[in-house]
Amino acid sequence: MKEFEMQKSEQDKKLRAKVGVYICECGPNIAGKVDLDRILADISQLDDYQDVELVVRKYGFLCSAPGKDFLEEEIKTNGFTHLVIGACSPRDHDSTFMGVCKKTDLNPYLYRIVNIREHCSWVIDEMEKATEKAESYIRGGIARVLRQSELFEKPLDINPDVLVIGGGIAGIEAALSLSGDDRRVFLVEKTDKLGGSALGLSGIFPRQGEVVGKKIESVMQNGNIRLFLNTRVDNVIGFLGNFEIELVSGENAEITDIMTGAIVVATGSDLFDPRESDNCSYSESDEVYTSLSIEKMFKAENGVKLRSGKMPSSVALIHCIGREEKNYCSGICCSCMMKLACSLRSQSSDIQVTEFYRDICLPKKEDQERFTEAEAAGVSLIRIKDISVKGTEVSFQRINGEKCEESFDMVILAPALEPSADTEYFANLLTVPLDEFGFFQEVHRMTNPVGTSTDGVFVVGTAHGPKGVSDSMQFARASAGQILTRLIPGEKLIPEVAVTEILEAYCTGCGNCLEVCVYGAIYSDDGRGISVVNEAVCRGCGNCFGSCPSGALRTKHFTNTQLYREVDEALR
Amino acid sequence: MSQTGNILVIGAGIAGMKASLMLAGASNKVYLVEKLPIIGGKVIKNEESFPNLECSTCMVAPIQQDVLQNPNIETLTYSVVEKIEGSSGDFSVVIRKRARYISLTDCIGCGMCYEPCPVSLKNEWEENLIDKKAIYVPCSGSLPNVPVIDSEHCLRLGGGEDCSLCAEACAFEAINLEDTDEILEVNVKAVILATGSATYDLSSIPDLGYGTLPGVYSPMEFERLFASNGPTLGEITLRGSDKVPESAAVIHCVGRRELKYCSAVCCMYSFKFARFLNHKIPSVRVFNIHSDICVPGKSYQSFYRNIEGADTGMLYTSSIADVSVSENGSELKVSYPDAAGSLQDLNVDMVILAAAVIPDPEVTVIAEVAGVDLDQQGFIRTVADGSGSMETSRKGVFVAGTAEGPKDIQSSVVQAESAAGQVMDIVTSQAAGS
Repeated sequence: MKEFEMQKSEQDKKLRAKVGVYICECGPNIAGKVDLDRILADISQLDDYQDVELVVRKYGFLCSAPGKDFLEEEIKTNGFTHLVIGACSPRDHDSTFMGVCKKTDLNPYLYRIVNIREHCSWVIDEMEKATEKAESYIRGGIARVLRQSELFEKPLDINPDVLVIGGGIAGIEAALSLSGDDRRVFLVEKTDKLGGSALGLSGIFPRQGEVVGKKIESVMQNGNIRLFLNTRVDNVIGFLGNFEIELVSGENAEITDIMTGAIVVATGSDLFDPRESDNCSYSESDEVYTSLSIEKMFKAENGVKLRSGKMPSSVALIHCIGREEKNYCSGICCSCMMKLACSLRSQSSDIQVTEFYRDICLPKKEDQERFTEAEAAGVSLIRIKDISVKGTEVSFQRINGEKCEESFDMVILAPALEPSADTEYFANLLTVPLDEFGFFQEVHRMTNPVGTSTDGVFVVGTAHGPKGVSDSMQFARASAGQILTRLIPGEKLIPEVAVTEILEAYCTGCGNCLEVCVYGAIYSDDGRGISVVNEAVCRGCGNCFGSCPSGALRTKHFTNTQLYREVDEALR
Repeated sequence: MSQTGNILVIGAGIAGMKASLMLAGASNKVYLVEKLPIIGGKVIKNEESFPNLECSTCMVAPIQQDVLQNPNIETLTYSVVEKIEGSSGDFSVVIRKRARYISLTDCIGCGMCYEPCPVSLKNEWEENLIDKKAIYVPCSGSLPNVPVIDSEHCLRLGGGEDCSLCAEACAFEAINLEDTDEILEVNVKAVILATGSATYDLSSIPDLGYGTLPGVYSPMEFERLFASNGPTLGEITLRGSDKVPESAAVIHCVGRRELKYCSAVCCMYSFKFARFLNHKIPSVRVFNIHSDICVPGKSYQSFYRNIEGADTGMLYTSSIADVSVSENGSELKVSYPDAAGSLQDLNVDMVILAAAVIPDPEVTVIAEVAGVDLDQQGFIRTVADGSGSMETSRKGVFVAGTAEGPKDIQSSVVQAESAAGQVMDIVTSQAAGS
């Protein structure tokens, strides 16, 4: 250890540098609790470094407009090679001072802010101790900054075009919102027609059917949308701004290679199979239907009828099928079932309609009317604790505990939405994780619900989670908002600068780093038997750094040498 | 013509901030106008947000900082928009920057000016649970961390007295008692209204005791009571005493029947309150008096299932309209009809009323200035062309967040992102057209 330290300090002595050390008083915030004059004197007299000239000054408010001008002027006139700022949390003003450096010849990565406010003056009452700690931080900062290297932004050209996967209502809405004269959209649908699940809604939601129809027409007439039906997405590589994609179409497996800057995943959802529930048993021949199949029947027949061709005289509508199994509420079934109940009553007032529900969930302000409409239409609404369906025999327990059994001519079930069968395929293809329910996982539930951990890949519609038509379209438009504000035709993107690099000579190709990289930024170069970092995708989080058993990984701007020297010096 | 333009965003809550950041990121110049002296909106009033009970400040503070530091965003706090004339692509806007009396550039937020101020007022931002001075920031952690003077109640500005104690206490000469309103006129290509919402006026249902029984709380009052930067620094004690409640009841759906819509967030925050109470007071007994449970979407029900039975007893009532709260010695008596319709009594120390989300009380003024229509419930109406568009009845004017209707943070952000995309359409199509 001693030898190591000696070696280090020998190296330090050889550094040739002129370091500016500027300490912000932050009014009384720092100056009131830290003896800045003592720090100024002590730091100026540091003789640890040969050939390193230190210029140490203090200033009232470095973050203020005159403070920034002062700093800029000081950097320019003194010709600093490095800069250390003793001030507040980097969260507050790191970007401020980097901005000042950018106005001068000093590379912003040769500057370092140390936090002597939140870590010192604000939390230590005794001036003596606060001053000592602040001084050690500043010494650490100087030691570190001397080990930092210049880093440069590498602007990347971008492709503004977008791939939209899935031709349902969300995919259509995304394609229509994104397409423009300077932005092409490739809309890929695995089946032979557009419209997705929303097409099935036109039975009892004729207005929605119309809307979908019009939108499909707009897609067909839009010269900036290139439609691929009967097509699957086979291969995707790349990152925000630059994706390379292979599409495979039709029976002859015709291959089309395309390039886009972003990908919108709108692969939709499936319906929970009610027979997977312990409380539902019925066979194909029973008069038991799901909400979707009944809507199709409604569209084809303009109403419902039994297999005998007769109209049912009693129909049971059962909510929440699969809610407990899935452990989520789909949020749309109540509204649909109430609309259906009203439609049945208007088909004929001879149809007795009974709805069995646990909770009424009508989270849209305009949906509440559905409940009053259903009541007014003479639908009998029964709140239940428990229910089971055997064919068309329904046994249920009312909310007051009373147990009942009733037989109906027809039973209609409202199953939950569940992730579509190909969700996992796309999760692997696009390196996007799935959540605990099997839907695509968003970056942040609240602040970035359409983004995914693979920047440039967005998830919309029911592929993200159960939701209705209007929310699906809204999510689609949100992804469009992100793409339109981030991928601007003709402009460049600046990827993270402080990324990880792999020292090839040390890499054994064990693949640990691939496992821990949440951004999919590392791939394996099988030919050379090593891992390789895609610098355009890496965010410099450092996960891989800790996982490497051979020390082959290095995160720029956070190297071992930089960190150790800072800590050594601060603790000296 | 350049592919960028000036944009006006009204309201610096989560929706307004997100939309501003996105548009500024695309090199547009954004005027973000906020009527309060601070930005952050309603979310920063909540210590933790459902369903993950994530620290709200940790989630929002970086967004607030990004907004304040973004060179393309001009954040105009304590300001109101007075006029929006013209049409999509070319609006002329008049903004009144109300006199703040404290310089945003010179003040460092040290707080030395509060102490000497002789005036004491109710702090509305803290739901009147604590007092403030006539020179104040709404709460600790305010951003920007610069106070404002309530000119109506200031002895000098409102009362004509010769007081300048605050200015004398300021070491930075940041206080200018001669400050006046400023009028700013700007041209913008598009407008986003993200003016937020309010909660139902609980005193309009006298049977629930809000405003007359001190143990009855509104949801926002309870949020502040739990908040570590709130009036009690996060200690849950009953109003006007040091007593820690031993039992509490949360009454769901308050206002739903009257308003004829479900606000979709109250069940979740009611469950959150049960968790909060248990977290702070391990021996507390909590009851949720509810009718329908509304927990839509993939991540809400599991939160409900975790809380139900563990943090709170669930008491179903057949009629929220018939629930009442009255005084019973030192306790509160909650009477509610049970599943069979028979009246049950429950004695508790504290009652929290889960109030519905309603339009902002100033929404009619906003709608008039912006020239947009309101919907049946009084929220700002979208074109409703079945496309999920956030455009209002006036072309080029968009709405996002709870100004459009009750919703959670996620949906507010989604709408903000949608609106930003639509604004980009206007900016770029105008560039292409010229």
